[in-house]
Amino acid sequence: MATTSVGSIDFPQRKAARLRFQDRRRLFLIALAVPAVVYVVLIALWPLAQGIWYSFFDYNLLRGGGRRTFVGLANYAELWTDSTARRALINTFVFTFAAVALEFVFGLCLALLLWREGRFNRICLAFLLIPVTITPVVVGLIFRALLAVDYGFFGYYLAEWGISGPRGFLASTSSALPVVILIDVWEWTPLVALILLAGLKSLPGDILEAASADGATALQRFRLVVLPLLLPTVFLALVLRVMDAFRVFDIIFVTTGGGPGDATNSLMVYGVKQGLQFFNIGFASAIGNVAILCIAVLCAAFTLLIRRADVRANET
Amino acid sequence: MKARTRQIAIERTTLVVILALYMIPVLWLVSTAYKPPREIFSSPPSFTFSPTLFNFERIFQLFDVWQLLKSSIVMSLGTTVLSLLLGVPAGYALARSKSRYAIVVAYFFLAIRTVPIIATLIPFYLMMRDIGLLGTWWAVILINTTLNCAFVTWMMFSYFRALPRDMEEAALTDGCTLWGAFYRVALPTVVPGIIASALFCIMFSWNDFLTPMFLTNSDTKPLSVALLASFGTKDITWGTLGALAHFSTVPIVLMALFLNRYFVQGLTKGVH
Repeated sequence: MATTSVGSIDFPQRKAARLRFQDRRRLFLIALAVPAVVYVVLIALWPLAQGIWYSFFDYNLLRGGGRRTFVGLANYAELWTDSTARRALINTFVFTFAAVALEFVFGLCLALLLWREGRFNRICLAFLLIPVTITPVVVGLIFRALLAVDYGFFGYYLAEWGISGPRGFLASTSSALPVVILIDVWEWTPLVALILLAGLKSLPGDILEAASADGATALQRFRLVVLPLLLPTVFLALVLRVMDAFRVFDIIFVTTGGGPGDATNSLMVYGVKQGLQFFNIGFASAIGNVAILCIAVLCAAFTLLIRRADVRANET
Repeated sequence: MKARTRQIAIERTTLVVILALYMIPVLWLVSTAYKPPREIFSSPPSFTFSPTLFNFERIFQLFDVWQLLKSSIVMSLGTTVLSLLLGVPAGYALARSKSRYAIVVAYFFLAIRTVPIIATLIPFYLMMRDIGLLGTWWAVILINTTLNCAFVTWMMFSYFRALPRDMEEAALTDGCTLWGAFYRVALPTVVPGIIASALFCIMFSWNDFLTPMFLTNSDTKPLSVALLASFGTKDITWGTLGALAHFSTVPIVLMALFLNRYFVQGLTKGVH
C-alpha cells in the first residue's frame, strides 16, 4: 500500500488505456463492417433462403390464388424428368465449357501477342475494351442483325452461298447453340486476354531472361517457365468466366430467346421464363438453387484442379 | 535483328486482323443509325449509303429518350454510391481486423458475387411487390447493390490489405482519431481502387438488363430494357435501334477508354 512511486501507479493505468484503445479499435472496425454485412444478409441472403423454402412448394401465382402446397422434392425431380429443363441444364454446361475453353485459348494467344510493350499494343488494348464494356443486349442485337438472312451483313451471304440454312444460323436447331457460344466468345475473349496480359506483365523479367540465355526455345520458355508462373492468373480468369458463362442470360435471351425449340435454352433463361413470366415460383426457385449448386461445384473443382497443377508445376 | 522485325510485323498484322473482327460489327451498328430505313433493308445488303439523321429524329418521336437516359443514370449512380458507401468501410475493416473471422467474412462477400441472380430475383420480386417498391428505381438499386457492394468490399479489401499499416499507426500515435486514420490517412492512398470500383459498379448496373426488365415499369425502365422492348414493335427498324444504342453504349465505352488504366487495374485486383 505504501508503494506510491509514480511508475507503479502509472503502469497499470497505461495498460488499461491501451486495452481500452484496442477495444475501441475493434468496435470501430466492427461498426465499419456491420452496415455492409447487414445489408447483404437482408437483401441477398434472406431472399436466397426464401428461394430455398419456396422450392419445396407447388407455388404458382397465376394458379389456385397463389396458394402454396408442400410437395417435398417434386420440383427438383421435375427438373430431371422435364425434358426442357434437362435440355437447359445440358445446354448450360455445354455453353460454359465450350465458351470458356475457346475464350481461354484465344485469350491466351491475344495476350501473348500484346505482351510486347509499345504504343501500337497500347492502342490495340484500348480498342479491345470496347466489346467488354458494350451492353450485352446490344452485342446480342448486333449479331442478330448481322446474321439475319434477308438483309444481314453476313447472314445474307451465308444463306446465299448455302453455308447456313435458308433461315439462317440462329434459326436452325443444329447451329443455334454453337453460334450463341461464338457470340459469347467474341464478347469475352478480350476480357480473358486483359486479365492474362496483366499476369504476364507482372512476371519477373530476370527469370525470363535467364531462360532465354540458357538457350530455351520459345515454346520451351512458354511451357516450362511462363505457364507455371502464370497459373494463378489463369485460375482467376477461368473461375471468373466459368461463373459468368454459367449465368448466361442476356445474349441468349436477345438472339434466340432460348429457341429454336429448346436448342439454346439455358438454366437462367428457363428459370426466368418459369419464374417471372409464368410465375411458377416453386419450380423456378428449384432451377435457381440447382444453378447455385452447379456453380459451387464448378468453382470447387477448379480450385482442386489448379492446386494439383500448381503442385505438379513446382515438382518439375 | 531482321528476324525480329519480321516477327513484330507478323504480330501486328495478326492484331490488326483481330481488331477488324471486333470493329466491323461495332462500326456496322454505328453506321445503321445514319442509314435511311430503305437502305438498311436492301437485299442484298448495300455497302454505300447517303447519311441521314432521320433515325435520331425517329427515336425522339418514339421514345422519351431523356427519361430513359435519366433512369439509366439514376439507377447506376444510385447503385454505385450505395455500394461504395457500404463496401469501402467494410473492405477497410476486414483488411485491418486481427480477428480470424475477418477472412471468413471476406470470402462470404466473394461468394455472394457468384450467386446467379435468378435465385434471389424471384423472392426479391415478391418482396418488392409486397412493400410496394415494384416498378421503382429503388427496387433495382437495392438488389444491384447487394452484388456490387460485395464486389466493392472484396476489391477494397485487397487494396487496403496491400497498404502498409505504418502510416495509420503513426497517425494514431500522434493523436489522430480512429476515424481520422481511416478517412484522412488510409482512404486517400487507395483512390485508384475507389475509382476502379466505381467504374465497375457503373458499368455493371448501366449494362444490367435482367433485373430492370422485371423490376421497373414503362416509366422507370432504363435504356437497356427499352432497346429490347422497342425491338419487335412495328415502328422499329435496325436504324432506330442503332441510334438508340448510341445512347446506351457511347457513355460507358468513352468512360472505359479514358479510364482504361483503372479498368485494367481493377480487373486483376478486384477479382483476385
